[in-house]
Amino acid sequence: MKQLLAKRFLQLIAVSWGVGTLTFLLMRALPGDMAYRIAASRYGMDAVDSRAAELVRAELGLDGSAWSAYWQWFVDLLSWNLGNSLVSGQPVAQELFHMLGHSLLLAVVGILLAALIAIPLGLASAYYGGWLDRTLLALSTALRAVPVFVIGLLAIILFALELSLLPVAGFGTLAHLVLPALTLALSLAAVSNRVVHTEARRVFNAPFFEFARTKGLRPWFAFRHHGMRNIAVPVVAFFGIQLITVVEGVVMIESLFSWPGIGHGLAHAIFARDIPVIQGAALMMGMLFVVLNTLVDVVCHYLDPRGGKLA
Amino acid sequence: MSLQLNTTQKIGAALLLALVAYALGAPLFKDGDSISQNLSAIMSAPGGQFWFGTDHFGRDMWLRLADALRLSLMMAALCVLTAATIGVTAGVLAATQGGWVDRLLDGVVTILLALPGLVLVLIFAAIVPGSFWMLYVAISLIQWIEYFRVSRAITQRMITSPAVQSSRLMGFGGWYLFKRHYWPAIAPQLLTLAAFGAANAILMMASLGFVYVGIQPPLAELGLMIVEHFPYYSDAPWLLVLPLSVLALMVLSCHLLGRRTQDQGEAA
Amino acid sequence: MLKKIALLGLASSLTLPALAEPTTQNTVAVRAAFEFSSIDPSRAGFVFTRMQILETLVDVDEKGNLTPALATSWQISNAGTQWDFTLREGVKFHDGTELDADVVAANLNLALSKPGALQGVPVTAIEAIGKQQVRITLSQPFQPLGAVLAHYSASIMAPAAFDEQNNVQALIGTGPFSVYEIAAPHRLVVEKFDGYWGKKAQVEYANYLTGHRAEARVLQARSGQGDIVFGLDPAAVPMLKRLPNLNVIHSDLPRTLALKLNLAHPNLDTIEERQALSLAMNRQGIATAVLRSADAATDQLLPEYMGDWHVADGTPQLTPDLAKAAALMQQAGWQKNADGWLEQNGEIFELDLITYADRPELTTVATAIQDQWKQLGVKLNVNVTNSSAIPAGHQDGSLEVALIARNYGSIADPLGVLVKDFGSEKGGDWGSMNWNNPSIQTTLNNLVAETDQERYHQQAQQVAKAIYTEMPMIAVASYVQQTAVNKRVDGFRFDPYERSYFLNELVWTK
Repeated sequence: MKQLLAKRFLQLIAVSWGVGTLTFLLMRALPGDMAYRIAASRYGMDAVDSRAAELVRAELGLDGSAWSAYWQWFVDLLSWNLGNSLVSGQPVAQELFHMLGHSLLLAVVGILLAALIAIPLGLASAYYGGWLDRTLLALSTALRAVPVFVIGLLAIILFALELSLLPVAGFGTLAHLVLPALTLALSLAAVSNRVVHTEARRVFNAPFFEFARTKGLRPWFAFRHHGMRNIAVPVVAFFGIQLITVVEGVVMIESLFSWPGIGHGLAHAIFARDIPVIQGAALMMGMLFVVLNTLVDVVCHYLDPRGGKLA
Repeated sequence: MSLQLNTTQKIGAALLLALVAYALGAPLFKDGDSISQNLSAIMSAPGGQFWFGTDHFGRDMWLRLADALRLSLMMAALCVLTAATIGVTAGVLAATQGGWVDRLLDGVVTILLALPGLVLVLIFAAIVPGSFWMLYVAISLIQWIEYFRVSRAITQRMITSPAVQSSRLMGFGGWYLFKRHYWPAIAPQLLTLAAFGAANAILMMASLGFVYVGIQPPLAELGLMIVEHFPYYSDAPWLLVLPLSVLALMVLSCHLLGRRTQDQGEAA
Repeated sequence: MLKKIALLGLASSLTLPALAEPTTQNTVAVRAAFEFSSIDPSRAGFVFTRMQILETLVDVDEKGNLTPALATSWQISNAGTQWDFTLREGVKFHDGTELDADVVAANLNLALSKPGALQGVPVTAIEAIGKQQVRITLSQPFQPLGAVLAHYSASIMAPAAFDEQNNVQALIGTGPFSVYEIAAPHRLVVEKFDGYWGKKAQVEYANYLTGHRAEARVLQARSGQGDIVFGLDPAAVPMLKRLPNLNVIHSDLPRTLALKLNLAHPNLDTIEERQALSLAMNRQGIATAVLRSADAATDQLLPEYMGDWHVADGTPQLTPDLAKAAALMQQAGWQKNADGWLEQNGEIFELDLITYADRPELTTVATAIQDQWKQLGVKLNVNVTNSSAIPAGHQDGSLEVALIARNYGSIADPLGVLVKDFGSEKGGDWGSMNWNNPSIQTTLNNLVAETDQERYHQQAQQVAKAIYTEMPMIAVASYVQQTAVNKRVDGFRFDPYERSYFLNELVWTK
């Protein structure tokens, strides 16, 4: 276990450097004058002009060489200083924290909701089969065939417009969270209920489970003692993989629902050429990826201690 | 590589063929082009002169839809081809060469995986706005990883197998080993990877259209069409339904094509 | 963590709303597209003056006339170079401190050092004269100064709003609303300020939420979550109009959709070419089919109600005249080739147009123009980008054509904007580009010091006519602001100069 953690820590450092450098290179390759882009974000589309751009250039020292900007970023990173946003002037770490909090809330609630939908449905369809299985298969297939923003639009039309149950967009209250989280959950559950289904089928058909049943154990008891763990390992691993897909995929949902998360902020920062924010956000997502992977490994290890080979 | 398709996959293939036929054949049945506007015949209902109606500029939806479909299919095909070629080559190389080649490629993959895919695509799309080729490069850059990991894992498993060992002892070269041993093991996985890769490429392009960094006007693109037509959903529902269903059908056909029966393997 | 959040949510939804808390019942929900990236008024002041937190010395009425605000009167002396403002008495900031001349002078001096409307005004000094008077001294006469001081970048805040380095740390203004909660860049909640000097607000709270996507804003209007929703996508207006709980209000404002042309480009350097391009446009079609308001079509940059700057005897060119356009192109040496494109010396007539996605109608209008010019044989490549590409393209000379929405009322007197836009051959970031007409440019610059009404009108007309006939910019349509107002509020009024949302005039319908 110690070895695993040490290895992951090294990976974390490599990833941070790599991601930061890559975003830096890509952003420097962008066409157009950075000062103008930043001025447009700062002063609004009606007030951006060359005078504002020159002020921005002077204030931020954009004339300096790319090397010195990169070096500065790197030195600051070592002291955990991600710099200030070029647009708002606020510390990046603070902005990211604000955005990351919203995104994580959306992601965690979305995943829990997905688990609530997917696990019972997956188990039930594996256990009963028949029309339930076929209906769920058809539904999952249909949901997976449309982009997540379409699911969001349909959810808005149904729940917010036709039924007037929930707010359309915005943030701040529990009611605002429902539709974006549900959209996320539906798109996740469309895949994961089939994973649960497949794993459950595998276990239900496995000799050890058949044996437990023939031993005379009641279905629920047999499931709890022999099925659950075996199903849980791949399912947890799968949910773990989905978490990062979620964090990166929320751009669509956040944009559609005006949810002030990291995906939305990131897209804006890219349009505005706010390099420190982009680097910081990419960095944070990269680190999140490594940390989550480690967590999933540890959980799987705990669920199934036999698998000695980790990482 | 012999193609043994099950019933589900056959349905998917048939659906895909039908879509390709429409994309390529539609203009043969209809005069005019997909970008000419007629501001005095906007949003006419399907039927009569315009089989699928006209959009908010009075453009022929039958032709626009075929254009958009062609664009998406082309993007999907190009991305799959590129990503598969690069991914399989790199995967086999990493497994057979080992050492620093393996470590370098592994490092690149770790970094790319940790960089959110959509961020990469967004940044690339911003480098040359509205460029089909930039989107292609970005999507391929994300998708090759999947092929790399699968073919690397399979090759690594094969290297220690008695069959490969004996071939090597007989002095066969790398190309023979690839043709005789690795490729036959990798190939069956490729159809699944390619089918889902194509579906993802199509979805990603549509999503970029949704955040306005995709293709620029007057080119028809499904994601952009969905966004542009959404405001008219109660006045002219077919404007929204048409691109939506074509998109869904296209992704569905890829998913069906990539789905293997329960005992053939796990759900992807 | 989740449990806690869920409990919090439950708790807040179960407890009865206390009076001193914004709820849906006592809060007017305002939705617009604009983010505020900072609380500095020089950057995002337009949101704060519209939400009526901040005020300026001078106000502007619907006709563009200056009216007293924090200053009750002003005298101009020394041949227009000395302006003395008398401040309103008894004005209190939201923190209870009093407005006086020192505070005003400090605010204006600070505004002078930041980008904003005050840039370019020939100011030599701003100083307090006693407690109630502020004197602004100019190096030369500058007529539009009053209008400039009505701009949001010249808003007045309490001393406590600034830290030692003069950075803005809090929004403490004098308006009828004070800040209740601010979460840049998306959300702002204001509460009514009982110590306001003017008409006190009736509604208790108002919140402002940025809705970036036009679709989302339309949906909020539909579902009743936005009481006042600005910047509706024209495409959605017919649907919204059918809803029983909404009024959709069309308001004219001095903003025009126009093409900015680079007159140094070989395809745009003759009047014939520019006139032909203008004649090929179907302005009526664009207004009716794309903008969904038939009377928006116009071929003049400034609206009729800005009488000095609107050419009175022009014959509006609203429907295309392709035959005449083709003849003009022929005069300029362009022939149609076999593919239907205009050609000269083996090169086809091709132009790159840039526009930006922030305003939903710009992309669609550009798409329409693209097709209309194609009928004439002009190949137009449309590139949708960021608004900053326009000033950047102007400065480095790479811009060919841009479709923009220009606000001629950002400073109440259009002269200020026009001087910036058309006052030199190089032109302005959002105005003409390489337009060589020195005599008109001199006339325009001299108007800044013109005090005689009659001469002002004559010379303004001269300038307007030159712009209208020589077409350094081509107007396409006037911009119609479409606002959805929920019937639960009454008394909504739209400010064509977009300075205020007049929230203090709103009342709840019974």
